[in-house]
Amino acid sequence: MNLFRSEEHARHWSGFRQEAAAGLLSLADAMAVMSTPRHRDRLSGRYVSSAPSSAPAFLERLKAISRNDPFWAPPG
Amino acid sequence: MPEPTELDRTYDFILRAFVADGTAPHFTAIARHFGVSPDEGRRRLHALMEAGLPNWLFPSTDLIASFAPFNNLPTQYRISVDGQQRWFAQCGLESLAMTWMFPGKTVVVDAPCLDCGEPLRVAVRDGAIEGAEPRGIWFYVDVPFRAWRTDLPFS
Repeated sequence: MNLFRSEEHARHWSGFRQEAAAGLLSLADAMAVMSTPRHRDRLSGRYVSSAPSSAPAFLERLKAISRNDPFWAPPG
Repeated sequence: MPEPTELDRTYDFILRAFVADGTAPHFTAIARHFGVSPDEGRRRLHALMEAGLPNWLFPSTDLIASFAPFNNLPTQYRISVDGQQRWFAQCGLESLAMTWMFPGKTVVVDAPCLDCGEPLRVAVRDGAIEGAEPRGIWFYVDVPFRAWRTDLPFS
């Protein structure tokens, strides 16, 4: 899970795999993925007990940003 | 609203210790904070680390290795706030989530690009990207989301 100077740098990286190209996200999209309550509310004081209720919004965000790409589908 | 659970309180203490100090507290610090025995502090730490969150101990120890979004071992993701570089992020994605740990402040992520080794920098405030150098930074993970939990440190 790394940041690169550009998409071209990510694709040129020795660890890049074409079959996992769906793992590329723009910086704005990566920020959006990390901006639902799942990550935003860690300092809420009730984070562990509220974690299950924050999952749906996070999964919806992943689905929307990836345009439902199976690479970003949840387990199961 | 229900009272915070023991896991909530332990989690909150550890996270706020990272925010304040840049490092993870030992289980004896957890014990001291809650006024319990060291053994009970250790039990609470292990109970939290088994709660299914992206946090883990250094293998075969009671020492916190990583506690998202923070890392207790240095990574290439250096985090600065108010001009102080005191924190390390768990990964590139979690480096962006650092913004939620420092509300109202600009969080600066400095890292090398793994392809060319040249630096990159992102500045984020309350979830809004204030700047990126160079422009056009991208994120990449080669592990499908469904497999992240099978090996969190690798992912």
